[in-house]
Amino acid sequence: MVRSENLLILGLGNLLCGDDGLGVAAVEEIHRRYRLPDGVRVLDGGTLGLTLLAHFEDAEDVILVDAIQADAPAGSLVRLEGDEVAPAVRNRLSVHQIGVADLLDGLRLLDAFPQRLILLGLVPEKMELEIALSDPVGSNLQLLVAEIVKEAARMGYDLHSRDTHEEAVSDTSDIAAGAGVGLR
Amino acid sequence: MTHVVVDPVTRIEGHLRIEAEVDGGAVQDAWSSSTMFRGIEAILKGRDPRDAWAFTQRICGVCTTVHAITSIRAVENAIGAEPPPNARLLRNLIMASQMVQDHVVHFYHLHALDWVDIVSALSADPAATAGLAQSISDWPLSSVSYFTGVRNRVQQFVERGQLGPFGNAYWGHSAYRLPPEANLMAVAHYLEALDWQRDFIRIHAVLGGKNPHLQSFLVGGMATPLDPDKQASINMTSIAFMQGLIRKAKTFVEKVYIPDLLAVASFYKDWAGYGKGVGNYLVYGEYPEADGANAPLFLPSGVIRNGDLSTVEPLDPAKITEYVTHSWYDYEAGDGEGIHPSLGETSPNYTGPQPPYDRLDIEGKYSWLKAPRYDGLPMEVGPLSRMLVAYGSGHPRVQELVGYALGQLGVGAEALFSTLGRVAARGLETLVLAEKLEDWLMELADNMGRGELEIADNSKWDPSNWPEECTGAGFHEAPRGALGHWVHIKKGEIARYQCVVPSTWNAGPRDAMGQAGPYEAAIIGNPVADPEQPLEILRTVHSFDPCMACGVHVLDPKGRELVKVRVQ
Repeated sequence: MVRSENLLILGLGNLLCGDDGLGVAAVEEIHRRYRLPDGVRVLDGGTLGLTLLAHFEDAEDVILVDAIQADAPAGSLVRLEGDEVAPAVRNRLSVHQIGVADLLDGLRLLDAFPQRLILLGLVPEKMELEIALSDPVGSNLQLLVAEIVKEAARMGYDLHSRDTHEEAVSDTSDIAAGAGVGLR
Repeated sequence: MTHVVVDPVTRIEGHLRIEAEVDGGAVQDAWSSSTMFRGIEAILKGRDPRDAWAFTQRICGVCTTVHAITSIRAVENAIGAEPPPNARLLRNLIMASQMVQDHVVHFYHLHALDWVDIVSALSADPAATAGLAQSISDWPLSSVSYFTGVRNRVQQFVERGQLGPFGNAYWGHSAYRLPPEANLMAVAHYLEALDWQRDFIRIHAVLGGKNPHLQSFLVGGMATPLDPDKQASINMTSIAFMQGLIRKAKTFVEKVYIPDLLAVASFYKDWAGYGKGVGNYLVYGEYPEADGANAPLFLPSGVIRNGDLSTVEPLDPAKITEYVTHSWYDYEAGDGEGIHPSLGETSPNYTGPQPPYDRLDIEGKYSWLKAPRYDGLPMEVGPLSRMLVAYGSGHPRVQELVGYALGQLGVGAEALFSTLGRVAARGLETLVLAEKLEDWLMELADNMGRGELEIADNSKWDPSNWPEECTGAGFHEAPRGALGHWVHIKKGEIARYQCVVPSTWNAGPRDAMGQAGPYEAAIIGNPVADPEQPLEILRTVHSFDPCMACGVHVLDPKGRELVKVRVQ
């Protein structure tokens, strides 16, 4: 496949609410374990609403990573594509009543909808207020990360694994001090 | 008596739930409940106070900056760190730009559709719309062809079944009163605001890094390097970039938001008679204009009782207490007591019905929010409180703008104490801050030009320079109102942490004395034309800009659940 110009991998969810934060945990893992080629951005979108619109700007390809409620055991991998995504994220709402689905509608209204849109995630078990993933989700987190990397490769973006003895970074922000306070 | 349940008001399952009793076409009584437990206090216990902001910024999905700033202020207050002038200016820029963006998003993307009927917009005559738009503003996007284009775009969107943000309302409700052309103008500006906010918030990327969550906060100051000549720092190019965004923001607010606000309000003047609420207003104040503990604030602090604008009392945080009489918590000293947040207890005791349920036990405990009180009184917080306290304190620009808005609408000052007043105050505050942003930016640029590049007080970074035990409080005016964090540090670790957030002030339940909270009081008396479509209740609740923390929601491939409205 021809290499595309711009991929956004966006983790969603609240880190303070157990498995709800699995999308954010997955993108943190990608930062830690992979080097990103030019044109690939990996962001922790948290539970932000329309503010995220700015981060889509010129993304032609988007992979959303999130907890997905489905008729399957906790920890199961779920993948949705294209038009399947919007109905599935209807309930992902910010306090502004503007959720990811509305964000996607906003992109459509602004004629900025990504050419390819994938939603990857795991079925959550617990979403109580705690900073920890449940066992079924935690033990499948690396599976999810591997799937995201494979998905990116299928789209034409190669994320390169960092050797274990090489630098492991926790933050890719351009601001050095005070950044990347680990949330785990 | 018809019992109307609006659940969930924010479309987030398990968050805000309003119950209202309707009789004779009006709300007779109302109860506001948060049905989700928030236990951030427990998560913070034992952690490094210097990291607390990174956790607290996740409390609220949208206002990540506000809990970060407040937490940092609380810790600085406890350990005695004194951020330098540049940190103050950077924080003012972050806070005020957050406020401006948040208010615009609230007006157009959350609240406007309570007043604007999309379906009616589709039948508007673009020429009449252009005539209306040109009569109220010289904003350039106002031609007949422009409005024709917008109408066709929205029409296509609706025809493709992609209703999206427009799909969830009571179109055609008798309480919608705008003529089609006003509806179309508002829809056009809904789209423009969407694009504008996406552009404007890039100011945060300059000030806080490329992540959606700002990374530049630091106990003692900021972590945003300043250097006029260096590329990796905030330099003169970034100052010019921010200046451009700020000027565009000011123009947008002046020429689009304010004219829209006044145009819409002119059709809904009766809403100046609904939604007053408790009539008491509390403001911590914000935007320090100098350094140190008693620095003057651009928007002053103060308390107003009973809508008496002639008397703004000085604020005394020692008078704040929280009640749990009707909240799902227990206090050691008993549930009839009020406790100051610095001594706050968070011991959950859920006594409510198992969901799904039809009614809350309104005689007993019925909310996960506590009931904060000031000197024993419920207080409204937020833009209306800030504008009233500034007005009563003689803030010249606020007085001028409030006078202008009242004059344009031909109403007296009593109109301020209402649902409409709340909506208007938010717009006026947006303008005041959009105008002010450039002053702080220029002050920062001047400092940089003089070689003053200090951004943090690092003298207190090392916990060995802290007292063995200390306490502190941090205050902030978030978009939704007064926000306070209280921290107790022992041996370098957090021993106790309490947050009193704006929505707790506004959406909290009744207290030991039986006094209703601001949402509850504001809903009582609202008209309800159709109990199956309680649009009027949503207007008043949304006028407060409701915010329930922790947007816990998993995705459901089966589709969305609409706002549940059950008539019993």
